[in-house]
Amino acid sequence: MKQSYRAAVLAAVSAFGLGIAMPAKAQNVTIAVGAQVTSLDPHYHALSPNYAVAEMLFGALAGFDSAGRIQPGLAESWRPVAENVWEFKLRPNVRFHNGNAFTAEDVAFTISRVPTVPNSPSSYALYTRAIQSVEVVDPLTVRFHTEGPYPVLPNDLAQVAMLDKETHEGAATEDFNSGKVAIGAGPFRFVSFRSGDRLELARNDDYWGPKPAWERVSYRIIPNDGARTAAILAGDVDMIDQVPTTDIARLRNDNRVRISERNGLRVIFLALDHQHPEGSPFITDNDGKPLGRNPLLDLRVRQALNMAIDRNAIVGRVMEGAAIPTAQFLPQGAFGYVPGLEPPRPDAEAARKLLAEAGYPNGFRMTLHGPNDRYINDARIIQAIGQMWTRIGVRTAVEGQPWTTFVARAGRQELSAFLVGWGTASGEASSPLRSLTATYSRDRGWGGSNRGRYSNPAADAKLEAALRELDDAKREALLQEATRITMEDVGIMPIHIQKNVWATRPGLEHDSRADELTRAQDVRPAGAQPAAR
Amino acid sequence: MSASSLPQAATPAAPAPAKVETPFRRFVSEFFESKTATVGLIVFTLLVLIALFAPLIAPQNPYDLAQLDIMDGRLEPGTRNGMDTFTYWLGTDDQGRDMLSGIMYGLRISLSVGAGSAIIACLVGASLGLLAAYAGGRTDSVIMRLVDLQLSFPSILAALMILAFLGKGVMNVVLALVIVEWAYYARTVRGTALVERRREYIEAAQCLALPTHRVIFRHLLPNCMPPLIVVGTMQIARAIALEATLSFLGLGVPITEPSLGLLISNGYEYMLSGKYWISFYPGIALLITIVSINLVGDHLRDVLNPRLKK
Repeated sequence: MKQSYRAAVLAAVSAFGLGIAMPAKAQNVTIAVGAQVTSLDPHYHALSPNYAVAEMLFGALAGFDSAGRIQPGLAESWRPVAENVWEFKLRPNVRFHNGNAFTAEDVAFTISRVPTVPNSPSSYALYTRAIQSVEVVDPLTVRFHTEGPYPVLPNDLAQVAMLDKETHEGAATEDFNSGKVAIGAGPFRFVSFRSGDRLELARNDDYWGPKPAWERVSYRIIPNDGARTAAILAGDVDMIDQVPTTDIARLRNDNRVRISERNGLRVIFLALDHQHPEGSPFITDNDGKPLGRNPLLDLRVRQALNMAIDRNAIVGRVMEGAAIPTAQFLPQGAFGYVPGLEPPRPDAEAARKLLAEAGYPNGFRMTLHGPNDRYINDARIIQAIGQMWTRIGVRTAVEGQPWTTFVARAGRQELSAFLVGWGTASGEASSPLRSLTATYSRDRGWGGSNRGRYSNPAADAKLEAALRELDDAKREALLQEATRITMEDVGIMPIHIQKNVWATRPGLEHDSRADELTRAQDVRPAGAQPAAR
Repeated sequence: MSASSLPQAATPAAPAPAKVETPFRRFVSEFFESKTATVGLIVFTLLVLIALFAPLIAPQNPYDLAQLDIMDGRLEPGTRNGMDTFTYWLGTDDQGRDMLSGIMYGLRISLSVGAGSAIIACLVGASLGLLAAYAGGRTDSVIMRLVDLQLSFPSILAALMILAFLGKGVMNVVLALVIVEWAYYARTVRGTALVERRREYIEAAQCLALPTHRVIFRHLLPNCMPPLIVVGTMQIARAIALEATLSFLGLGVPITEPSLGLLISNGYEYMLSGKYWISFYPGIALLITIVSINLVGDHLRDVLNPRLKK
């Protein structure tokens, strides 16, 4: 380990000072991640760490750059050739790790495999559902037929790792995990995998894109926050992800590590009960008796609660700076971000006035729920909001629960106000608008995570238009309008957008990613050419 | 005829009408012979007083969210609060909760949960133990197999499962602790009662055709008290530690009403960052509480056990 570090520094110095190429000496990197890689089968369990591994081993037709914008991958280009037909041009001369060529037949095979993976805890079929048929035009051209116009197909396909028809026909998830068919077209090839412990990878010298800097990669799984921080301080590993917020301040001042961070795509927000007009389950008057109506249906009450929240205090004190206060779904620069839509200035006086206008001069009692093991500092955030709401007269009890218990109750509309988060993997606003705030409809597949059952027909109409609009500029404008309508109606209360934080050893450069994936191709010795797309 | 004079008459060292040296007086004087036990008792009494009067002496009500200020979070010991009205002598936790007030209130929860569960478990366990010893036969074996089953199971695991089933809350913690702890009392009481029930005074009571419950509770039980008191004291300490463990694991009390275990757990993540006080002081408070109870309990065992007498 020490040696590899020295080699890295040496390489950096020589590449910088003398302008010569990297030395031929083999280079290894050890990365410790906090979340479990649950499977090497790229179509088994849709989970951030599995995406990261899939992008190292396999690769998809499209990909996201570090800011979350879509760009070419195994496909060089794509365009709609009709209302409901997308044509993708594949990259020529791409080979899988076993030497097989990547062709349109493999794409068709991959799309057909995705919905058939048995026992998938979180299926990738979501991303292929819009595709009605796949047409192989020639070995490097493939057309996807959808039911109607489907503008986000490239975003969806960026989530689907491409497999080889010859190798993977009939392959089971266990065959991937054992390494037998862990064969893709990605920048690294499989060496070994011990579930829950580590994944060993080696460089794929035939990779179609820029060559990664590392000969060997050891991808270790260390779920305990303290242990991960200790590992980088001790020099056992070269990089860690998910740096605990409690350690960020200390690590910034420690010259043994460098912090790299980027605004993420995960928004933390409060959802409110819109399901029970005759009285919300966890809201009572000040004597503990039912109110007989649901105050959260009154816009003034929602505005008052929103105004009471001091987002800067939460970001500064609870998150220790590892977040940005927000009033919308996405960070600046993402597709559908609304310029100028800012959180309200915290104002307890004005909030109390609004409550009085709504008929609650003395406030009411409410319980704010949230998970205690899911998002960064989740239980601490709800306590802080409890303080702020209690100060405007809404006496708030706070209850943090394990995620599985919590999410089941929230999904049954048993709660009044609760904290949740949403990671926009596709990088564009249609995903949160459709899942979080659109009127719940099982048939349409809308509002799947709209657990408070908020509904706003005006926003729904804008979203519907956006989902049929193939022109990117027009679509973005429609998404921005839908977002603005929802947020001005306080459909949900965004609190902040998490920053993704990594720590590396000095002498390494890390291209931090908005989508929170930790990939070996994003790390390189300082001064070396960027390797990853 | 007085029921209490019977068991006393059965104890040879204590003549019933004695004025100068009653068993209680002798017990008290023997207890205070040990300096460590005396210190333990004084400290424990002090802690109970602090817990009782916490709302009067604590600078802040740590359970009232309106009194906390997130901007005062993680302040070092000895810092003045944001409004400059009092000093955080032991610092604040991540929510701006005064650690000193938090410990005083936390002590209330820890002690009441500990004592409450120990008393209820004692009532349940002792009754079942007496019943087992007195009835014998099938009743005895059913109860004692239950006890064996209970004791063969790690208590923390059993408590975790019970709480996972019942959900959070102080009352549920008490209930879980009772379920986990009753077996210790049952076994202790049964052992003593098996010896005592063959004594002549029980026979005498039975010959008088006294009702069974009266024989059990007025004659048998008082003579089983000494070991019960010892086990009870030890179990209070155990219950407090167990409650702290459960809260530390996030299964005990609500997050806005922390007990000592939850206070420790709140600060645990800050240990590496040098903000030691959030975990350290509640930890010390817990340590002092348990040690003081154990000192008293240890010495009680010595005093109440006739075989250890000089």
